[in-house]
Amino acid sequence: MKLRFLLTALLLPLALPGGAEAAPAPETSILRVNITSQGYNFALPWQKQRPNTRRGLGALLAGNRVLVTAELAQDANYIELEQAASGKRITAKVEAVDYELNLATVIPDGDPGTFFQGMEALELDTTLRPKASLDVWQFENNGAPVTSSVEFNRVDLAPYFLEDQFFLIFQANGAVQYRSGTFTLPVIHQGKLAGMLVRYNSRDQVSDILPATMVERFIKDAATAPYEGLPGFGIRTASTLDPQLRSWLKLGEQDGGILITDVTPGFSAATAGLKEGDVITEMNGFKIDGRGSYQDPDYGLLGSGHLVRGKANVGDTIKLKIIRDGQPLDLNVIMLRKQAQDYLVDPYVFDRQPRYLILGGVLFQELTLPFLQLAGKEWRDRASFRLVYAQANQDEFLKAGCKKLVFISGVLPAPCTIGYERMSGLVVNKVNGKDITDLASLADAVKTPTDGIHRIDVQDGPRTIYLDDAQAKQDNAEFLPSRYRIKAMENLK
Amino acid sequence: MFCPSFLRPALLVCLTAIAPPALRAQDSADEKTSSLGKQYESIVNVECSALRVDYRTPWNAATPSGGSGTAFLIGPNLFMTNAHVVSDASRITIKKVGDSTPHRARVKFIAHDCDLALLELETPGPAFAKAVPLTISTEIPKLDTIVKVVGYPIGGERISVTRGVVSRVDYQEFSHSGVDQHLAIQIDAAINPGNSGGPVIQGTKVVGVAFQGYSGDVAQNTGYMIPTPVMRRFLKDVEDGKYDHYGELAIQHYPILNPAQRKALNLPDNDTGVMITAVDSTGTCANALKVGDVLLELDGFHVDSTGSIDIDGEQTEMAEVVERKFVGDKLKLKVWRDAREQEFEVTLKPFPAYLMAANQYEKQPEYLMHAGLVFQPLDHELMGAFSLTNLRTRYYYDYYAQDEIYKELPEVVVLTSVLPDAINTWLRDYTGQVVEEINGVKIKSLKDAADALDKQPDSTHVIIRLAGEGRPIVLEKQLIAAAQERISRKYGLASDRYLAP
Repeated sequence: MKLRFLLTALLLPLALPGGAEAAPAPETSILRVNITSQGYNFALPWQKQRPNTRRGLGALLAGNRVLVTAELAQDANYIELEQAASGKRITAKVEAVDYELNLATVIPDGDPGTFFQGMEALELDTTLRPKASLDVWQFENNGAPVTSSVEFNRVDLAPYFLEDQFFLIFQANGAVQYRSGTFTLPVIHQGKLAGMLVRYNSRDQVSDILPATMVERFIKDAATAPYEGLPGFGIRTASTLDPQLRSWLKLGEQDGGILITDVTPGFSAATAGLKEGDVITEMNGFKIDGRGSYQDPDYGLLGSGHLVRGKANVGDTIKLKIIRDGQPLDLNVIMLRKQAQDYLVDPYVFDRQPRYLILGGVLFQELTLPFLQLAGKEWRDRASFRLVYAQANQDEFLKAGCKKLVFISGVLPAPCTIGYERMSGLVVNKVNGKDITDLASLADAVKTPTDGIHRIDVQDGPRTIYLDDAQAKQDNAEFLPSRYRIKAMENLK
Repeated sequence: MFCPSFLRPALLVCLTAIAPPALRAQDSADEKTSSLGKQYESIVNVECSALRVDYRTPWNAATPSGGSGTAFLIGPNLFMTNAHVVSDASRITIKKVGDSTPHRARVKFIAHDCDLALLELETPGPAFAKAVPLTISTEIPKLDTIVKVVGYPIGGERISVTRGVVSRVDYQEFSHSGVDQHLAIQIDAAINPGNSGGPVIQGTKVVGVAFQGYSGDVAQNTGYMIPTPVMRRFLKDVEDGKYDHYGELAIQHYPILNPAQRKALNLPDNDTGVMITAVDSTGTCANALKVGDVLLELDGFHVDSTGSIDIDGEQTEMAEVVERKFVGDKLKLKVWRDAREQEFEVTLKPFPAYLMAANQYEKQPEYLMHAGLVFQPLDHELMGAFSLTNLRTRYYYDYYAQDEIYKELPEVVVLTSVLPDAINTWLRDYTGQVVEEINGVKIKSLKDAADALDKQPDSTHVIIRLAGEGRPIVLEKQLIAAAQERISRKYGLASDRYLAP
């Protein structure tokens, strides 16, 4: 089994006006970043988890911006920038963050005074190609710089932080010392920032580096509000290497092409009219082979996902050549963006409180992936099956007009919930006769009980839950705040 | 009683037996002359050679295995034992105490849902002519009373007797089927492998059949026996010459403990009734109960708000009413609907859909091999043999009964494996998924799949679509016949299919 450590890398590219003469060095271009994170407790969403303080390294970029990974900056409560040698510290805050790209910039919270004096911003090296020697910069505990050399020799697509999201990765070989408490480290090529090390496999001594070209995308996007983020295509594909499949699809033997097996409703590909069964043979002039790869002019053979996630911006057009029913066809796909909250089940939730509503002790939530992941790494086997199934088949719910999956995540024993204590993982269909499409619709529906009784229709278990409105109101006002120390009975934001 | 894993029954403390009709065999047994020494002659060792099939190679002959258990004479040439002692038997022999001659026997009746079986000698000879059948008690032994377990467990060749007390009377899962629950009695006499099928005796009468315990260090001095109500029910069931399955109400219920429930349903506050939360649309209660009804009475027994009834002063699961009945028997239901009482009479039916999750016995696994693709109907054995993890496959398996998938799909056909060959070299990633369509025909059973594949399509390709998978399996028609012959020869398949008649 491969052991992979997460490395928080800090990159400090600082473009000093006028330009300093001294070559960038760890002590002038890298800062320690001490971050105290405190995410919400997805089981008890009215409260936060225990605070957790971690230390990573950041790269100084132009404009006194310190580049770190989003992983390090997640749910940040309090941030300090620290000069390794002197120990000088200032308070900082997150300026921009993209959890898909796994990048964040941290800036001083207030006037930095003389903190950045004598420091030098790193420039980005966006022209790096394989077969290059790179330096990983760190500090010893006493602030002395440490450099590890690695050989960059391979390019691939791999997840940065969130699973199932694939981006351009530079792989480099060579030992990297463990000095910083995390493995998110700035990687330098000839004095410029080559990227951020995001993972290190100590057994094979392979580093995964988030390259500077992707950092550049992030910095450019962050420079103008609102932050837009990366577009998505919204398809699933299968290879067309099988000659029998090719002959049925009426593909020539040498044409390559990738078969579309699923199209996400309402997203970029669907909007452009792509259908299941179409075969993509060309994207923006690049031939797509039977595995879905193309020859990238910079990096060689690469997955075609890079043409979308690595190169296109929201609003760009990607020109496709496809084969549909044996006939060639040209299609233009305008790149759209789906935010985490646009999914039926949010794929990630950071920096905000989960939405919830408590009615007399019954806890309603909108399903999110972090909630499912409370069941551990094996959450697909261990979490409530109905919820896991919904997460995997979100389109079916979206088609039915559902915006969010509202479910009862648990029941707080209270006078109102006698007999209902064991309920959990129940999907809510209707409340007081009204269809539930998200938590806001539920908040609306609980305003209108009939004859003082709430009727909550759920998929399994009791099927209909009856709650006394007067008792629920009383428990919400007295019992739950006093016994469970819950301050707010709902968060719909 | 069938009990879905998500709805475990409440604890049952004690249960007095109702007197079931006695067997003729027992009438003839003279209790006064049945001394203990005499009883031992009626307790025999059963050796069984069994054939267990590997579902991953369903075309292969089964692997022979063997086991040993105990049986006891209950009538002329009629021995009772556990179903699990003689399941999948290829040959059964019986040896009596003090006589090493094996006598060949066969299964007369077998009930996998309550783990009981009846054996008979193939050629009844003088060996058991003088043996006196044991008498089955009409009662459930009281807690803390002494019982003896007699049988042929590991630790020696000769008959063994252990002694203990009745520790608990409760519903237990019967591990032989894996899905059935019945009344069982826990005792602290040592029960070891080989005791299975042996009688548990109190005084001079049989009060149970030793059948299961915990393995390893899970629990100490904990063995279980099948009590007389279950034994007698089995004997009565087979009186007509065949064993029928237990009947099931095929409903689910939820307690009414919250005052708002009573208020909303206009129910009087008298601890009566349970909410009906699921009614199988083909089951016993299909035309009587509705979701949202409150069941007030079951066959004259008052149902309380947790679904318990009172039989002879003992609180017990209302399922006990059904446990004592047979398929075809009538049951009266009194329900609360639209704020008034309504009465129904239903006829008890079996509920085979729940057997999806049951261990399978006496069954040659069905399969169909086409171009190296192996198709098999989904069941518990298949799930275990292939460790199927595909989410849709798991859904069909887990919710087969509850979501009434069986109505749409009498059999769920799964592409379980691929026998590698040039024709299927790109198809190995698609195993473990449910077959939805073949050449445009919806597949509802393995026979459907066989028929669809046997019929030559008009087009040049055979198209197999898997549920939730956008990439179809495509086979060139002209390549199939040669591949079929080649694969069968190389992988040793005498036939490309076995479909149960």
